[in-house]
Amino acid sequence: MLSDAEAAELLSFLTPTTRRDVKGRATEYILGLSGHRDGCRFLRSKPDVVSALLVLTSDPSIAIVKDCFHVLINLSADETLHQVLVDEVKVLPVLLKNLVDPDYVFSDQICTILSNLSRHEKTCRTVFKVLQEQLDVAQLVQIFCTEGYNQRAKLHYLGPLLSNLTQLPEARNYLLDPDRCVIQRLLPFTQYQASVVRRGGVIGTLRNCCFDHRHHEWLLSDAVDILPFLLLPLAGPEELSDEENEGLPVDLQYLPEDKKREEDPDVRKMLLETLLLLTATKAGRRTLKDKNVYPIMREFHRWEKDVHVAAACEKLVQVLIGDEPESGMENLMEVEIPEEVEEKLKEADAREQEELQKNQEELQKNQDKSGRTD
Amino acid sequence: MAQSDSDDGMDEFMDKFKSQRYKNAFTENDWEEEFNKIPMFMKTAPEEIDPQKYPELACLQSIIHDEDRPPEEQARCLKDEGNAYFKEKNYEKAVVSYSAGLKKKCGDQELNAVLLTNRAAAHFYLGNMRSALNDAAAAKKIKPDHLKALIRGAQCCIELRNFPDALQWCDEGLKAHPTDKKLLELRATADKHKRAAERDARKAKVKEKKLHGQKEALLAAIKDRGVKLFQSMGPRQHGSEGEEEEEERSSAAIAQLSLDGLNSQEVTGAQVFLDDQGLLHWPVLFLYPEHQQSDFISAFCENNCFVDHLAVMFEELPPWDTDRKYLPQNLQLFFEDVEKEKFYQVDPETSLLRTLQHKRFFVKGGTPSFIVLVNGSSFWKQFLSGKKIHRL
Repeated sequence: MLSDAEAAELLSFLTPTTRRDVKGRATEYILGLSGHRDGCRFLRSKPDVVSALLVLTSDPSIAIVKDCFHVLINLSADETLHQVLVDEVKVLPVLLKNLVDPDYVFSDQICTILSNLSRHEKTCRTVFKVLQEQLDVAQLVQIFCTEGYNQRAKLHYLGPLLSNLTQLPEARNYLLDPDRCVIQRLLPFTQYQASVVRRGGVIGTLRNCCFDHRHHEWLLSDAVDILPFLLLPLAGPEELSDEENEGLPVDLQYLPEDKKREEDPDVRKMLLETLLLLTATKAGRRTLKDKNVYPIMREFHRWEKDVHVAAACEKLVQVLIGDEPESGMENLMEVEIPEEVEEKLKEADAREQEELQKNQEELQKNQDKSGRTD
Repeated sequence: MAQSDSDDGMDEFMDKFKSQRYKNAFTENDWEEEFNKIPMFMKTAPEEIDPQKYPELACLQSIIHDEDRPPEEQARCLKDEGNAYFKEKNYEKAVVSYSAGLKKKCGDQELNAVLLTNRAAAHFYLGNMRSALNDAAAAKKIKPDHLKALIRGAQCCIELRNFPDALQWCDEGLKAHPTDKKLLELRATADKHKRAAERDARKAKVKEKKLHGQKEALLAAIKDRGVKLFQSMGPRQHGSEGEEEEEERSSAAIAQLSLDGLNSQEVTGAQVFLDDQGLLHWPVLFLYPEHQQSDFISAFCENNCFVDHLAVMFEELPPWDTDRKYLPQNLQLFFEDVEKEKFYQVDPETSLLRTLQHKRFFVKGGTPSFIVLVNGSSFWKQFLSGKKIHRL
């Protein structure tokens, strides 16, 4: 790595007034450093270098700005850099200011950095705090949900950002504010074809919001009506009988024959997990049963090939067709599990995961052998 | 009597009443009516203010609408007037007042926005949704965050069943007023209706597709049997046609098969259909040119023979058969080949299907028709003479 003297010299090249080609070479070099872990760790010890790069994001040369943003993205991908970036270099205010600007060219890069920085709870808290000071979550959602807000950036990575933010209860409260229209705006994006990042981010956000069962009734009510938006990506073109159709939520009735299901298995799993969360309360179970969720899951299970996702589906189906739990245990989230039972369940879970993994690998091997794909 | 020291003549005036009778006093009979004429005491305003009958009211009116006052004041007064009419549910008059207020073109934009919004409300209650929407939009243009205009606009869109636009109004409103309960409620309603409308469209599409499928199956069944539907094909080609060209024309007709070819000209609206067993049932017309009569069988199964139907139809001889001669065994059936101007005799023992498959049989108007004559009768002789007949 560079010596202190060399680092100081490098820093001197990173001022706005430096000659362009020298600036360019310096930023290129740092970009190279940031490409691997040791380089990142080195830069961690030189926050003034990173600060200089932050300043250079306003440089008139697009190529230099691009490199600077790439460095920041690489650094933000390393968790050990988060504290430096947020507390010492103070990237957040600058990034957020530019994010709100509908003409800013590098907004997508900003979204990626923010998404990275919000991944782990500690820094996420800081991100949320600064966010609330400068704009607020509702405004962020508005920007995210406005088609064409920024003509030069897609802003898809605001999806994962929101998903990360909602690991904090404070952030969830903003989204779940019944006196505003915030979470409702996200719902149509569960079927957003153009970007799996956006789609996955939104669904992750919804899943996190369903952790608190106190909000379930409101989420399932007409005021939000979350259920159809969770089911649509899982519903297929299969023709259901008129009777089954009429019992479904309006958005799921008479789906056209070219209806496709969600293609990413991880996203499918998240949807099923969210639905399972909504079955925690008796009222939630009642609603899902009444709205004919079972036929949709039945057809879905026939179609699903991934063993992990199918297992999640089976868990949901079990609740939908099983008997109601005995009185005192209706709220599945509040049932007290004695310690030994919890241990046994954990072991059983671990074994099941192993089984599933083995099955998946077997399937994979057989497919590779016969050389065909299903 | 105490002497007064007033100098305004009031005391003298009052003293007069001790000796003179007060003229024009209200009587017991008319005092209510009279009271109602005095502006201060009237319970309701008259529809029209006739200066002769209500001089005081007319005076007040002219004071209010005095053209010399600044336009803002006039407009404000007109707004208040409109509001008063509105409260009385006299929406037409309210519209007039608001319009007059707007005509003043006063510079107070806030006031203009209110006038437009109020007029929108009046139109709304009159059921003039488009006018109401226009006014709300105009108000929104002047003052983009005017809450009442935004709410009214959304409501109009909902009444006009334009739910996507309603949503847009709500979202615009919520940008300025994120917690307004009415807007949140309207948005949820508009969204719900929009999604229901989308469902209805999908349902209609599915039904249409099903219907289309059924029609295609029907046409295919007809085609498979080699039954030809009569299609008017435009001007005939000159010269004689060879067998091949004829066939081409026929298959072209089949290729062009549309339901128009099947539309029955019968008022009954009966149409050929395919039953569960895959059999076709045709509406069939029997013509009795001798007596200008006809019989209509709405569903003649293709496997049935004519004798079966004729036996039933002529079990009891029809009233128009004055000669009592239309006995089933005496009847002869023919169909007409219009193009070749030829009549083909039909064997009553054959099935409808076989007859329809005759290479010169064309089903016209979706209804096969047959001519029925009594063998050997004078009409029979007359009808068939001079015509090209192809006998059995």
